[in-house]
Amino acid sequence: MSGSYLARRLSSALFTIALIVVVNFILFRAMPGSPERVILRGTPNVTPAQLEAARERWGLNDPIFPISFEEAGVVVSADNQFFKFVGATVAGDLGYSFVARGQTVGDVLAQRIWPTVILFGLGELVAIVLGLALGAYTGWRRGGGVDLVGNGVSLVLYSTPYFLLGMALLLVFATGLRWFPTFGMLTAGVTYPDLGARLVDFLAHLALPLTTVSLGLVGQYAIVMRSSIVETLSDDYVTTARGMGLSEGRILRHHALPNALLPTVSLIAINLGYVVAGAITVEVVFNWPGLGTLAVEALTARDYPVLQGVFLLLSVSVVLANLVADLIYGLLDPRVRT
Amino acid sequence: MTAADAAFGAPAPRGLAGSPIGLLVRLVRRPEGAFGALILAVFAVLAIAPELFVGPLQTAVTAPGTRLSPPSPEFPFGTDELRRDMLNLTVHGARVSMAIGLLATLVTVFIGAVVGIVAGFLGGRVDAILMRITDFFLVIPTFVLALILTPIIRDLVGSGSAQVLGIRMTLIVIVIVIGITSWSSTARIIRSQTLSLKERAFVDRARVIGAGGGHIMRRHILPNVINLIVANAVLVFAGAVLTETTLSFVGLGDPFQPSWGQLLEAARTVGAPGLGAWWYFVPPGVGIVLVVFAFTLVGGALDDLLNPKRRGRR
Repeated sequence: MSGSYLARRLSSALFTIALIVVVNFILFRAMPGSPERVILRGTPNVTPAQLEAARERWGLNDPIFPISFEEAGVVVSADNQFFKFVGATVAGDLGYSFVARGQTVGDVLAQRIWPTVILFGLGELVAIVLGLALGAYTGWRRGGGVDLVGNGVSLVLYSTPYFLLGMALLLVFATGLRWFPTFGMLTAGVTYPDLGARLVDFLAHLALPLTTVSLGLVGQYAIVMRSSIVETLSDDYVTTARGMGLSEGRILRHHALPNALLPTVSLIAINLGYVVAGAITVEVVFNWPGLGTLAVEALTARDYPVLQGVFLLLSVSVVLANLVADLIYGLLDPRVRT
Repeated sequence: MTAADAAFGAPAPRGLAGSPIGLLVRLVRRPEGAFGALILAVFAVLAIAPELFVGPLQTAVTAPGTRLSPPSPEFPFGTDELRRDMLNLTVHGARVSMAIGLLATLVTVFIGAVVGIVAGFLGGRVDAILMRITDFFLVIPTFVLALILTPIIRDLVGSGSAQVLGIRMTLIVIVIVIGITSWSSTARIIRSQTLSLKERAFVDRARVIGAGGGHIMRRHILPNVINLIVANAVLVFAGAVLTETTLSFVGLGDPFQPSWGQLLEAARTVGAPGLGAWWYFVPPGVGIVLVVFAFTLVGGALDDLLNPKRRGRR
C-alpha cells in the first residue's frame, strides 16, 4: 500500500474527528443555561468559589474563539474557550453527568460500552455472514424461487424499524412462548452458583436482542451483495471465464465473489452510521444496558454532557471503523491505492 | 441531434426522461412500481382526510372504549390504555407520519440539491469545502446528532402550542433536524450529475451569451437534474419516515399529534409486548413497514428508469 493512500485516508479521518469535536463544542455553547451551570449541574452544593474555578478551568472568562472582533480590532489569543474545550476532550475530560451525581461522563460511558460491543459485534458478524451468503446465492440464481422469496424478505426486513422487529420477537418468544426473559442483561437479584450458570442466563437474555439486530441488518447486506454479484456477473471477465468453459460454481467462487465483495465492504462500513440508530432502539426495547439505553436515559433527563459523550464515542468509533475498512479495501484492491 | 444542433450547440434538453407524467406512466408499467404506487395512494388518501374514515382524533376525554381491550366488532383494531380506538389513532397517525415525512423530505432535498449543484458547478475550493462537510454528514451517526439537536433546538424556539401549517412546533423541530442531518447523499448524487452537465455545450453557449453562474445553475442545470431529484426524494421520504418514527420512539414525538412512531413509543411505555397487547403496536407498525416498503419499491423503480447506467438492465 502506497504511503500517500495511507496518508490521505488517515488525514481524512482525522479531519472528520476534528469536525466532530467542533460540532460538539458548538452544541455545548448552544445549550440553554450559562455554560458554567451546564458544567456544574451534576455537582451538589456549588459554592461561588467552585463556580469561579469552573469558569477559570474552562476559560469561560476568555473569548469563545481564538480570533475575536473587539473595538480595538481583531484580537488573536491562545487563551480561549475553544482551545480549552478541545484540550479537555483530547485529554478524555468530557465533564460531569447531570444525573449520576459526581460521576464523570467517562465513567458513565465506560460502564455501558461492553454490552453494546458484545451485542453489536456479534450481531454484525452474524448478519454479515448470513447476508452476504444469501445475497451471493440469490444474485447468482437470479429469478429463481430463492431469489424471489429472499429478495422480498430482504426488502421487507430493510423497511422494518429494528425496534418493531424487537417488539414482535418479544411478544412471540418472551411473552407468548416464554422461551426467553423479557428484559435486561442478567436476571435481577439472582446469585449464581458458578460462572457457567451466569453465562447461561446471559446468553438467554442475549438471544432475542441479538436475533433482532441480525435480522435487521441481514436485509440490507443481502440486497447490497445481490446487486453487486449481479453487476459482476455481467462483466467481461466473467464472460471470458464462461467462454473458457469453467463451471458456474468455479466462476462464482473464484471470479465473481472476490470482486463482488469489494464494494460490499465499503458499503457495510458507510452504513455503520445508520446502524447505530437501530442499535439504540433495539437496546431500548430489551432494556439492554448499553450505550443506546444510556443515550435515551440521558435524552429523557436532558443529561447533555452524557448525550454528547455518547455522540463523541459513537461517531469516533464509526469514523475509525471506516478508516479500517478503507485500509482493508486498499489492501484487497490495488486500483484504489493510487 | 441534427446538423444545425451540432453546429450551434444542442438546446438545453428537457429532463432526463421527458415529462413527469410520462415518467409516472412508465413507472406504473413496472409491476413493483405499480404495487408501490398503489400502497402509497391508499395511505395518501387516509392521510389527506382521516376524519372522513374514522372521525376526529380521539382524546382521553372522548375515548369510547374500555382499557386495552383486544380487537372486537366494535373496535376492529382494539383500544389503547387511554380507552381510545386504535383504528382511529392509526389512521390519524398516517397523516402525522406522512406530513412530517413530506416536509422533512422537502427540506432535505432542498439543502442537498443546492449544495450539490453549487459544489459541482463552481468546483475548486468551494467544492472541496462543501464535499468535506458532506462526507462528514455521510459518515457520522447522524441519528445520535439528531438526538442532541432536537432538545436543544426545542429549547431555543420555545415549546408552546404554536403551530405551523397545522403542525405543532415540536414536530416542526423534528422536520428541521431531519433536514439538517440527512441531506448528504442527495448532495453527492446531484453533484456528480452537475459535474457532467456543466461540460455540455448548452452550458458553454449560455456562458458565451453572458449568463451568470446563478442564472446557469437555475435555468440550465436545475431543469436537467430535476428528475434525478424527484427519484432521490422518493428514497429520502422512506428514510425520513423511518427517522421520524425512530425519534418519536425514543421519546421525541408529540403525544398531542401522535405519529405512528409516537404510538409505538406509547405501546412500549405501557409494556404492550409484555402484556400480550399485540393490537397496540401491530397496526402502526404495519403502517410504517408498508409505507417505507412502498417508497423503496417506487424509488428503486425510478432509479432504474432514470439512472443511465442501470437503464435497460433488469
